[in-house]
Amino acid sequence: MAPEVFNFAQTPITCHAFSADHKQIAVSLNSNDVRIFTRQGATWTPTETLSEHDKLVTSIDWAPNSNRIVTASQDRNAYVWQQTPDPQTGKLIWKPTLVLLRINRAATFVRWSPKEDKFAVASGARTIAICSFDPENNWWVAKHLKKPIRSTVLSVEWHPNNVLLASGSADMKARVFSAYIKEVDDKPAPTVWGSKLPFNTLCGEYASPAGGWVHAVGFSPSGDALAFASHDSSISIVYPSSSTVYNIRISSLPFVTLTWTAEDNIVAAGHDCQPVVFSGSESGWQTVGSLDDSTSGKAATAQAGLGGNSPVGRLNSTAFSTFRNADSRGQSGSNPLNDTKLLTVHQNTITSVRPYESKGSRVVKVSTSGVDGNLVIWDVDNVTASGGLTGRMAGLRM
Amino acid sequence: MADTAFRKIDIDVYDEDVLQEEELVTADTRSPVQVLEDARQRQTAVRGALARSDVVGALNIVLENAPYGPDVEEAKTVTLQTLLTILNSTKSTEITPVVKGLSQDSQDTLMKYLYKGMGMPGWGDISGSVLLGWHEKLTEVAGTGCIVRTMTDRRSV
Repeated sequence: MAPEVFNFAQTPITCHAFSADHKQIAVSLNSNDVRIFTRQGATWTPTETLSEHDKLVTSIDWAPNSNRIVTASQDRNAYVWQQTPDPQTGKLIWKPTLVLLRINRAATFVRWSPKEDKFAVASGARTIAICSFDPENNWWVAKHLKKPIRSTVLSVEWHPNNVLLASGSADMKARVFSAYIKEVDDKPAPTVWGSKLPFNTLCGEYASPAGGWVHAVGFSPSGDALAFASHDSSISIVYPSSSTVYNIRISSLPFVTLTWTAEDNIVAAGHDCQPVVFSGSESGWQTVGSLDDSTSGKAATAQAGLGGNSPVGRLNSTAFSTFRNADSRGQSGSNPLNDTKLLTVHQNTITSVRPYESKGSRVVKVSTSGVDGNLVIWDVDNVTASGGLTGRMAGLRM
Repeated sequence: MADTAFRKIDIDVYDEDVLQEEELVTADTRSPVQVLEDARQRQTAVRGALARSDVVGALNIVLENAPYGPDVEEAKTVTLQTLLTILNSTKSTEITPVVKGLSQDSQDTLMKYLYKGMGMPGWGDISGSVLLGWHEKLTEVAGTGCIVRTMTDRRSV
């Protein structure tokens, strides 16, 4: 099935989060407001605006069971939004609760824990704030994970056991921490990451061979493996039980976001504008292909003038070939085919990929949002082995 | 126009806990003296390989364990010199098969040297057109990802 494409704005979509029933979506359109859209058939209509932040909203997460939204912003604040009836009209409105983050730099990323009783806020203050609710004062309080983070934390993800937390940061490291809060958590069962887990225990620290900011991290559904994408155009998969690290280098631009769709499957996306699928197990990983079938339909006609697909990836755009023709053949003026449209569905960097729909334990659909203002819902099993990737499949490294 | 001079203030000097460059790179375990000796030995080995016109072998020798980091400037110079000998003596039609025969590690390191060479025009026997020829062929084989890794990797050669 072809991917569903929705255009929300002419501005970038910084982040997005769906409600549990997928009928509503909260997005930050590169601004300090959170917009909520409601689905009506094939279109999305704006229904609410959550305005409390006074700088760019960097991350949003919508808790599926408790129906609460948490937002993080460059204004160093986070808010938890809950639907409550308005005392006068009785109408449901989103009411914000302040979170005492105690950070002195921007909040960059936020995620609810699986049980939705805690959330983690990554920040530029070399800190991850683990927030839990304090019913006495009716606010959220934070405990800080600090050591040994040396730079801005760019992303976090919770382990399914509600205690462990993975983080990716600008000091080139992906880490696994314990975020055990005595008041909230039961004693966790031992995992492959360790058995004794007081708060701020460092359970693992990893980097890819060529380094680079770690943009995205993700635990596998079982929590026994960790994947991270870094700015050296590579993705790494870590199995702590056998101390194995697989690093797959790709031939195109770096990924900035990833999600596991099953124990043996990862979807990653980023500056190359298309979601790429990896599959494997503890014995090895490889690139499978792209969810974006850039060789079919419209793309095929546009590609005819380009001399086939090359591993150069995004460089091989029509804009590039316009300059190349002008340079090598003295051709100028516009060929009707030579517009600036990319061959991919997303026309710019993909900022976020998130699971959308599951069947059993497998995610069957993922959603992506991009700098082009588009939101796309992809069928995970609809993989095309694209020309730019197949040539370089054997990228495994122990 | 707004004053932009504040952008040039080095705020790191006011930070007691600033992130140092060396924290981001895993240091080479070999001593600088050893690195230099390795580089000289490789230079000889490369001459041997080139005499047998084994370009892939020569490149693999010079690109493996290439010197990086501080205090090994001389070894870096020797390695660059050795590499240039190989690049300059390879026919342009042979480049693609040679590049395809390299491991991903070697391709990434080769790209680093190409950029290093292009950053030093006129030094030694650097020829811009040779470097650009290699760059074009290497990008065709290894993709833009290879260039991204060159820019990202702090283990500069």
